[in-house]
Amino acid sequence: MVTAAAARTGEAEQTLVVDLPFPGEGGEAAFSRADIVITGVDHSSISYEVRLFLNNPSADAATPRTPEAGYAGRFTVFGHGGCYGDPGHCDMPSASDDPTDLRPAHPLTPLDTYVTITDPLQRLLADGGALETVTLVPLSMTPSREDRKPAPELLKFQDVSLQTYLTATEADVPPV
Amino acid sequence: MGIRRNASTLSAAEVEALRQSFNAVYGLRDDRGYGYFAGLHGLPLPVYCEHGTSLFLPWHRAYLYFFERALQDQVAEANLPWWDWTSAAAHEQGLPPAYLPSGATAPANPLAAGPVTLSADDLTLVRANLPGAITAGSQPVTRRDPDFPDELPRPATVSRALNSRTFNSFNMLLEGIHNGVHVWVGGAMSAVPVAAYDPVFWAHHSMVDRLWYLWQISPRGVNPPAALLDRPLPPFPMTVRDTLDISTLGYEYAVQVIG
Repeated sequence: MVTAAAARTGEAEQTLVVDLPFPGEGGEAAFSRADIVITGVDHSSISYEVRLFLNNPSADAATPRTPEAGYAGRFTVFGHGGCYGDPGHCDMPSASDDPTDLRPAHPLTPLDTYVTITDPLQRLLADGGALETVTLVPLSMTPSREDRKPAPELLKFQDVSLQTYLTATEADVPPV
Repeated sequence: MGIRRNASTLSAAEVEALRQSFNAVYGLRDDRGYGYFAGLHGLPLPVYCEHGTSLFLPWHRAYLYFFERALQDQVAEANLPWWDWTSAAAHEQGLPPAYLPSGATAPANPLAAGPVTLSADDLTLVRANLPGAITAGSQPVTRRDPDFPDELPRPATVSRALNSRTFNSFNMLLEGIHNGVHVWVGGAMSAVPVAAYDPVFWAHHSMVDRLWYLWQISPRGVNPPAALLDRPLPPFPMTVRDTLDISTLGYEYAVQVIG
C-alpha cells in the first residue's frame, strides 16, 4: 500500500507516479485477477478521469491509451462541483463513535474504487518483465470539453495498492 | 404494468407522450414538477443522491420510480425509456435521436434540454463552479457537450460488471461505468448538482436500472447484504428491500413492443 504522500510527481509534472513493484519481496504468486485499488478518493470538486499506465512514468494526457504505452484502464469520478452551502457546509465531520448517531454519512465522504488490470499486468509479466510503477494521469471532466485539461489538483486520495487474487471472481470470467 | 422501452426504438406516439409529459412537469412549480424532482439529486440543497456507496443502485431506482409516476400523473402513457449507450447505434450516433434538438423550424424538443429552476444565488454558484453546464440568462436550461460516440462504454465493459458475483462489486462497477457516461454527455450531466435537470439523465439512469434488473434475474444476481435491506432511501418512503422487485413497482423492461 502506497500512501498519497509517498507518490511522486511524474515527469510531465501533471501526473503522479507510485512504486508498486510486482512480483514483490515474496516472489511471484500466480493470480487470476489483479486490481489497482485506490481508497479515500475525493469527489467534492468537478468531475475528473484518472488514466493508469504501467511502467510509463513519463505518461501524460497526450499518451495514447494503448497496450504499447502501458495503458491499463481508467476510472471516472462524478464530482459534486464545489460547495453550495454556507461556510463549513462541506467540511467533513470526524467519524463518529457514538452509537446513537444515526445520521447518514456526509455526502462528500471519500470513496474507494478500483481498476482491474489483469490483462495488462499478465502481458507485462509474460514478456519477462515486472511491474515497477503505476502512473496516474488525472484529467478534469468539466462541463465544456474545451476546458478539459490535466488536473493534478483534483486527484486526492488516501492510498493506492495492487491486489492480486487467485480464486475465481467476477472479473475472471471473460465477457460473453 | 408500465413498460420501459429502448429509447432508440420508440414509436412516434411513444415519443410524443414522453415529450408531453416532460412539458407538463416543466410547467409545474410545486412538488409535482420537474424542478422538485431534478433538485432532489443535487441543488437546491440538501443533496440526497447516493454516489460512491452501496445505496447507489437502490436509491436511483426509487428516484426513477417516483419521477416516472409524476410523469404518468400528467400523461398516463408516458414511460421512461432507456438509452443503451453500449449499442452499435449509440457508438455511431451518440445520444438517442429523440433527445436531440429539433430543427430550427420545429417546436423545441423538451427532451433536448431541461429548465434549471434554481434560486439566483444557486445559479450564480453553478455558473462560477461549473461554467458551461447551463445557459445564460434568468431562465437557464441545461447544456450538453458530448464526446465522440465511440468513447461510450462498450458491451464488454458492461459484461464484466454483469459477471459480478456480489452486490457490492456489481454496484461499484456499474457506478463507475455510469460516471463515464455522465461526463461523456458533458454540460449539466457532468456534475452532481445539476445533472438531473438534463432530460437525458432519466434515460441514462433507466439504462443503469435495467442493467441492475438484468443482473438480478441472471444466475449471478444476488440481493444486497442483509445489513443494507432495511436502510431507508431518503427522501423516498422506501427501504432498499422495497426496491428489489421491479414487478412490485409496476414496471418492466422491453426491447420492443409490437402491437
